[in-house]
Amino acid sequence: MIGLALKMLFGDTAKYLMLVAGLFFATFLIVQQASVFCGLMRWTTATVKNVGAPIYVVEERVEQANETNPMRDTDVARVRSVSAVRWAMPLYSGIQRVRLNDGSFKTVQLIGIDAASLAGGPTQMLEGNLEDLRLPNTVVIDELATQRLSTDPKNPLKKIKVGDQFEINDVEARVVGICKAMRSFTGGPYIWTTYERALQYTPSSRKMLSSVIAAPIDGMTTDEAAAEIEKTTGLRAYVNRDFGDNPKDFNTATVWWYVKNTGIPISFGTTVVIGFIVGVAIACQTFYAFVLDNLKHLGALKAMGMSNFRLSMMLIVQALTVGIIGFGLGLLATSGFAMGAIHNNQPPFYMPWQIPVVAFVVIQLICMLAALMGIIRLSLYEPAMVFRA
Amino acid sequence: MNFISNLFRYGSIAAALFGVVAICLVARTQAERQMLPAGDPPIMPPKKPYAQAVAATGILEALSENVSIGVPIPGLVREVCVKVNDTVKKDQPLFKLDDRDLRAEQLSVQAQQEIASAQIRVSEAQLSKLASQLTRLQAISDSRAVSREDLENRQQDVAISQAQLAAAHAQFTASETSLKRIALLIDRLTVLAPRDGEIIQVNIRAGEYAATSPKVSALILGQTDRLQVRADIDEQNATRIRQGQKAYGYLKGDPTVTFPLEFIRVEPYVVPKVSLTGSSTERVDTRVLQVIYSLARPSDPPLYVGQQVDVFIEAPDRHPQP
Repeated sequence: MIGLALKMLFGDTAKYLMLVAGLFFATFLIVQQASVFCGLMRWTTATVKNVGAPIYVVEERVEQANETNPMRDTDVARVRSVSAVRWAMPLYSGIQRVRLNDGSFKTVQLIGIDAASLAGGPTQMLEGNLEDLRLPNTVVIDELATQRLSTDPKNPLKKIKVGDQFEINDVEARVVGICKAMRSFTGGPYIWTTYERALQYTPSSRKMLSSVIAAPIDGMTTDEAAAEIEKTTGLRAYVNRDFGDNPKDFNTATVWWYVKNTGIPISFGTTVVIGFIVGVAIACQTFYAFVLDNLKHLGALKAMGMSNFRLSMMLIVQALTVGIIGFGLGLLATSGFAMGAIHNNQPPFYMPWQIPVVAFVVIQLICMLAALMGIIRLSLYEPAMVFRA
Repeated sequence: MNFISNLFRYGSIAAALFGVVAICLVARTQAERQMLPAGDPPIMPPKKPYAQAVAATGILEALSENVSIGVPIPGLVREVCVKVNDTVKKDQPLFKLDDRDLRAEQLSVQAQQEIASAQIRVSEAQLSKLASQLTRLQAISDSRAVSREDLENRQQDVAISQAQLAAAHAQFTASETSLKRIALLIDRLTVLAPRDGEIIQVNIRAGEYAATSPKVSALILGQTDRLQVRADIDEQNATRIRQGQKAYGYLKGDPTVTFPLEFIRVEPYVVPKVSLTGSSTERVDTRVLQVIYSLARPSDPPLYVGQQVDVFIEAPDRHPQP
């Protein structure tokens, strides 16, 4: 029976391709757009990811990672004084302007870390030594900065190297290391320096401390420690895990802030919905036409005594097969896009495992819907009609 | 035709299978490209010495507190007698200011003293001359030979001359006093060590101008065999501080250098915090309670006055009112 169903399906190559193409587009649109959306949302948390720290303590009204409301310098000591904290270090983060040797300006994300412990420094150094940050007027830049800050980004020979220098707000900055970092939402590269020097690079204001990074003592979870910090100091403490259902997680809070306060989800959501509609329209229409075409054969089978259930099963098998193949092709196209995106770090792409799984269920739902229409048409068909013609 | 439809049929199945494999590869590459999870910092920050502690930033000072040496009057520095690290005793000269104007005055006063002493001699000679004339007249017993008026005149002359001599003596004494005063003033231009100690900083060199209220003090003197830490505690944590609490210090920049601290006192006056971040603009945004602790200066590694220290003071948690 399955063999017969597949033979019927593949018999008409044009219709088969049409069906597969519809589902392919639907899959591609849903998976690719959802992944780009996730990637973009992930970029918003780049600072938290690049400055790997278990706990972020920020001013009590800060809602997401990209806004800073500076605190007083002594707040580091206050956080340090909480019993649940093993260590606490100051962190500066802010957007600053870099002046290149040819006079052009670029914005960068400046991160200032504690000079002694280097807590909050980049985790993967590609070149140079993180400890060299203690030398005067030194910075560590990320891979993106090697191109972005070069006078001729197209020319690989002009890339910024270790030893090159530029100016941040008229103060000299010498590159002593290149690290790997995630791209920021604002598009500026990440530049690390020590906290004290970050304050020199930054136009001074009354309060400068962006956040305090901290770790819990042994035998205490980050959540408990964060709650303890909030209770004792009145500041807001976020834990740093990954996007999840914990509202006290900085990644989660940041992503939800962007979802609620920007039009990004609407834009991407519309594309995903259109993908779904395109899939439904093409698949249902083509499959219905396919059933109509084969109605004679199906009617003959019915006349030969095949039950409605078995005929329905045949249609479902056909729909499932088309769905799986279309889905597979969609994944292939998405992979091609993803490889390019991951290689270039642009456009944003991040695919959690839920996306393909949900897309698979959605595609199969579309197929079942199409099969259902065929089944209804078939069940209304009288076997005698075959002989009438 | 059959071949083409077969090609599409199996080709699409193969491509679909490949698609599933490819997306798994993407997932793997993506996982490899993720940022590493937050680990410990490259250099582990100091472990807290106490379960419940108040953290503070402190600065190392000489135990006697650092004495900024001042000058009595502004002037050029003629000679600096000490170097950094010199150990000085009380009243040892530190540096000398230019005293040429006073020496010049001294010269003229000395000349006046010469005049005064010459004046004394003139007055003495005058007096002895008048006195001998008077004596001669008085020796004449015949009252007719000497008029009474003449005798009286002579006597008055002697008295005047005596008074002149006294005036000349007074002049001499005045110039002598004046010399002493100038010597004292000259003496004052040599700045002496107010107490035993060590020279921690020299900001003045011969030929420079020493002002009475300079931006940086000319010399800093202190006793550096024992140091003290001045720990700044945020006023929000100030209520947790009590007399005599134990404390531990960590050198900023090298958390492996640790030293126990001995309590000295809590400063009774809460001061505005001066940012210790080294920025030129002072940002006063909170007030801090200062607690003073002392420590013996370890021989290795050397500690220096002025270094920043992270201080942990053992203090029980403040339990919020239920």
